[in-house]
Amino acid sequence: MAAAQAKASQGIDAILTALADPHRRQVVDILSRGPRPAGELAREVGLAPPAMSRHLRTLRRSGVVEEFHPDFDARVRVYVLKAEAMDELKRWLEETERMWAEQLTAFKAHLEKGAA
Amino acid sequence: MVALRVRATPERAFEAFVGEIGAWWRSNPLFAFTPREPGVMSFEPGEGGRLIETRAGGKVFEIGRIRAWDPPRRLVFGWRQAAFAPGMDTEVEVRFDPVGEETRVTVEHLGWDSVPAVHVARHGFPNEVFLTRHAEWWQALLASYKVRIGGA
Repeated sequence: MAAAQAKASQGIDAILTALADPHRRQVVDILSRGPRPAGELAREVGLAPPAMSRHLRTLRRSGVVEEFHPDFDARVRVYVLKAEAMDELKRWLEETERMWAEQLTAFKAHLEKGAA
Repeated sequence: MVALRVRATPERAFEAFVGEIGAWWRSNPLFAFTPREPGVMSFEPGEGGRLIETRAGGKVFEIGRIRAWDPPRRLVFGWRQAAFAPGMDTEVEVRFDPVGEETRVTVEHLGWDSVPAVHVARHGFPNEVFLTRHAEWWQALLASYKVRIGGA
């Protein structure tokens, strides 16, 4: 249980770190409208292809995106968002929300202890 | 839900939130600040003051600094866990709004300052958290770092 939690937490850390960069967030934003080839992403974001490659590698390693090659051309790399990363991020948001709900409940109990 | 009402004035709620956090905070393994045994939380009051966790041995971990100190209505502080990567930082805003004789306490856990404002303006915050479409999900998640997590 604790190990699974630690693993999940590493995953979300990698995702949050990947998303901590504005260029990479822009890539995610663009990919949320559909798959794109690397070259097109570089042009849209306004980065040189090598810089874009580095960002795409970070996004790939953290599990935010994956690449595939279209059947017609094995040299072209097309990127797409991964649903699993989305699920982890969603879970993190939900857990953060739940954590604060618990803290506020404890805060309320503390505050009203003597007053009731 | 990240907002609730307490039977206290904003002054008292603010004072207890800051001054008595060591007594009311519940440590949560999923949100541990460091991999070690959780310690006691405390604020150093005033802008620039730290929110720290002090472990039994006296070691101190700085969670963040107070970025807005506006008693009794508003408090903003930084929030980092030890596992966060360099450059990764989140922010917590707490508001204390009077409602009759009570106070509504609202917590917003915000993400990076650098989330482009234009993005948020374009997409806004979704009313429905459980969006099903892939595309909308990502846009909603990114936007939700800037605005409140949770209830509308």
